[in-house]
Amino acid sequence: MKKSTYIYRRFERFWHWSQVLLIFFLALTGFEVHSSFKLFGFENAVNWHNIAAWAFLTLIVFAIFWHFVSGEWKQYIPTTKYMMAQINYYIFGIFKGAQHPTHKTIYNKFNPLQRFTYLGLKLLVIPVQVVTGFLYMYYMYPENPIHLGGIEITALIHTLGAFFLIAFVIFHMYLTTTGETVFTSIKAMLTGWEVVDVDEEEEHTEHLKSAVKHSIAGYYRLDKNGNFLDVNEAWLKMYKCTDREQIIGKHYSVARKKEDVKELDGIVAQVFEGKIIKAVPATRKCKDGSLGRHILSANPTYAGGDLTGMEGFIIDITDLDTESEHLHYAVKNSQAGYYRLNCKGYYQDVNDAWLSLYGFDRDEIIGKHYSLSRTKEDLHKLDEIIAKVTSGKSISNMIATRKCKDGSTGKHILSANPVYEKDLIVGMEGFILDLDSVKEEI
Amino acid sequence: MERVNNSKGKFARVLMLFAVILLPWLVAIFWVNKIGEEEKPVTVNIINYKADSLPPPVDHSKYEVLQQNFETPQQVTEACISCHNKTGHDIMHTSHWKWSRPYVNENGDTVELGKKNIINNFCIGTNSNEPRCTSCHIGYGWKNKDFNFKAELNIDCIICHDQTGTYKKFPTAAGYPVKEEKAFGGKKFLPPDYNRVAQNVGMPKRENCGACHYFGGGGNNVKHGDLEKILTKTTKEVDIHMGIDGEDMSCTACHASDRHDIQGQLYSVSSYNQNRTSCEQCHTETPHENTIINQHANRVACQTCHIPTYAKGAPTKMDWDWSTAGRHNEDGSITVEKDSNGVMTYHGKKGSFKWAKNVTPEYAWFNGNTDHYLIGDKVEDTTVAVQINTLLGSFDDLESKIIPMKVHRGKQIYDPVNKTLIIPHLFGKDSTAYWKHFDWNKASITGMEKAGLPYSGEFTFINTEMYWPINHMVTSREESLKCMDCHSRDGRLANLAGFYMPGRDYNNILDTIGVLLIILAFAGVILHGSLRYFSKK
Repeated sequence: MKKSTYIYRRFERFWHWSQVLLIFFLALTGFEVHSSFKLFGFENAVNWHNIAAWAFLTLIVFAIFWHFVSGEWKQYIPTTKYMMAQINYYIFGIFKGAQHPTHKTIYNKFNPLQRFTYLGLKLLVIPVQVVTGFLYMYYMYPENPIHLGGIEITALIHTLGAFFLIAFVIFHMYLTTTGETVFTSIKAMLTGWEVVDVDEEEEHTEHLKSAVKHSIAGYYRLDKNGNFLDVNEAWLKMYKCTDREQIIGKHYSVARKKEDVKELDGIVAQVFEGKIIKAVPATRKCKDGSLGRHILSANPTYAGGDLTGMEGFIIDITDLDTESEHLHYAVKNSQAGYYRLNCKGYYQDVNDAWLSLYGFDRDEIIGKHYSLSRTKEDLHKLDEIIAKVTSGKSISNMIATRKCKDGSTGKHILSANPVYEKDLIVGMEGFILDLDSVKEEI
Repeated sequence: MERVNNSKGKFARVLMLFAVILLPWLVAIFWVNKIGEEEKPVTVNIINYKADSLPPPVDHSKYEVLQQNFETPQQVTEACISCHNKTGHDIMHTSHWKWSRPYVNENGDTVELGKKNIINNFCIGTNSNEPRCTSCHIGYGWKNKDFNFKAELNIDCIICHDQTGTYKKFPTAAGYPVKEEKAFGGKKFLPPDYNRVAQNVGMPKRENCGACHYFGGGGNNVKHGDLEKILTKTTKEVDIHMGIDGEDMSCTACHASDRHDIQGQLYSVSSYNQNRTSCEQCHTETPHENTIINQHANRVACQTCHIPTYAKGAPTKMDWDWSTAGRHNEDGSITVEKDSNGVMTYHGKKGSFKWAKNVTPEYAWFNGNTDHYLIGDKVEDTTVAVQINTLLGSFDDLESKIIPMKVHRGKQIYDPVNKTLIIPHLFGKDSTAYWKHFDWNKASITGMEKAGLPYSGEFTFINTEMYWPINHMVTSREESLKCMDCHSRDGRLANLAGFYMPGRDYNNILDTIGVLLIILAFAGVILHGSLRYFSKK
């Protein structure tokens, strides 16, 4: 699936184009100092080369910081996977109109050749240029702690580095033309947006991963012994925990009053037998000893066919005024349904639980507007929610009425939070827990 | 915060990006163009210097002892030291009097090095030629090696302190002025009015110093190249310090003295890095606004950039070939040849000369110490020019700086058997003086005997080189050397070896590889691109 994706963030583009300017300027002034040509005048060339070098160094410091803070440094971890395919593509495939052997995604922007080349620049060529540049500038200070005995070696290495950089620029500029059209890649580096191939499975996994991470619904995972393996931020918040380390590895009994532990034991035992618990109300004991109410879902986790533990979501209901009613309804409710809308209100993703609640097939809902899933009277309510969420707010326990495929309606409790792509809100997502089916049972 | 999706917003973004990319270039180009034209007001930071504008503290004409009728110059000296009664003692420790300085040789022995044992490639050596040479000694009567250096009365005070400009030593009279009117080289020399001269003494003026230092080698600007009579009354163009339209500084403004020991020395005869006059004593070691230029001062002498040419007035002698001397015209007179400018290119007594004006200096590493060819030294290698004085230093020696210098090349008489340079007896009225009888063999016998050295009886001529650091005729900062004068492939320092200089040096192999790399990159890209283009069709 092709999709316009925000692939180069603002600082990244600023960094890239500043670097372009500086490298060109450093090459011009540098090779003038090398007496390769006359352009600015030797004195200006020297002074400007030094100033540009300082500017470059500043940029490098910011870029290093950015790479680590954003985690983008991982994009440069070298790999030989598809390396030969990539080389073959440039040598043969490209002339036959073959497809690129690797696909650009936000999570994997560079092909293996790029990874190697860029890493080489970052770890070898540019550091060497910076170090030799510094020696070049300061070797003759009288209070110089290192005595170089001349700059011949320094200057020659610096020159060699410059030749490498120029060769890189030539190849780099040429290879930007190998995108879909000649200017696709340059346009992407200017605007940040590029149409890239999206692997639906990968996308789905990434969505869920980030949904769990950012959701207002609490997520937990236990191992076979009932000890916590993982919880998300929302879970920690509900339990008034500040540090994840305080809970990981602890037995679930710490999260309950003594008299409630038995109830949870029962649920855990059921799940370990392979059962899925769709939603049960529970009373949690927070870190500070205070109590809170939530609805809980639980399902077993498997690895290679073996049951390895259980996981699930919790949605806070402490502040619901109609608490008791909903708690009642929620007993033995459905598994949590997951949905994701883009900021215009079109469904991008839903999970199976969601589909079974609404009665849709996946193809019938993905790409459709949310109005399809609401009665006319309720539509404005969801409009408001979307407006709130896309302005950055999260909603944790709204009760909503859904319109199913067959026209029937149902009630569910809903969480919603904004979806960020880089620094932009691009949609909203959340979980729903059914309240209706239980009512009928009773 | 919704993604800007409409084409107008997109266009604005791209436009802004291009503006961000182009703007620095435009600013840079503007700035660079502006920098060239910018004229900053000249402010020179000076330390330790104050122009002396006060009148002399005493009026010598009022002293009774100076109002007597002096018969001899020694009587004047006697009058001087009757008041300045320790000055004679001070004078006798100076190189102006001794014509030598102590030097510790490699054995640890202190020897006196000076004109009596160092030779040059002009008139070669003082031994046996004293009366001519010592016309520039601050004494009276040094006509042979028996001169009494302990006799205070032999000090010539007035050659340095005369303010009338009338007192002159006769060129061939061992430091004495004439007793009656005499001519030399077409100039009249009159007996001095000692009374008037003695009453008009003061700090040495340019003329006093110049009387000897302009005329070394027997004529104006012959030896130094950067010291000549134009400096007595000159403009800023010739010397930024001495120009009377500028700072109007005299010699003694920089060459300060301590009890008559005058600061400064020249390495044609000096050997040691001590008591030197320097630009830094007034200008500090970091006189420039630009740090990089100040850093240059670590390894480059001020003179290198600030004296781009020397011999700005009269030409200076660059080459002296003694081997052609001795020619006479048919009428028996000595042959003299001059070029169209009236500059002497040949003289039967001396040989052939080459002169030059507005000369670009040659450059060397120099740490302030000099090695000299001393009389009697064996010449080790006759295939290269004999080094009369060797300016010591190199890039690797951190005390060394690049200095400008005049190189005087000579071809002079040499004993191939003893492998020594010969000091010929040139001047005199006796039967062996070369300038009388033109017999090199006889002149060599006498000269070497007076010098106390063996002579084999065989002579030939050998190439020699002598190095004269250039320190005067400092130019304005606008006229000083620019980066490119040295930092270019064929700049002034093209021949100065032993170090890497940006703009001048490069590694041939590395540059070839680099250029090839770029060419291959372009070729590869063009090939790949055209293959893509045609394969798609």
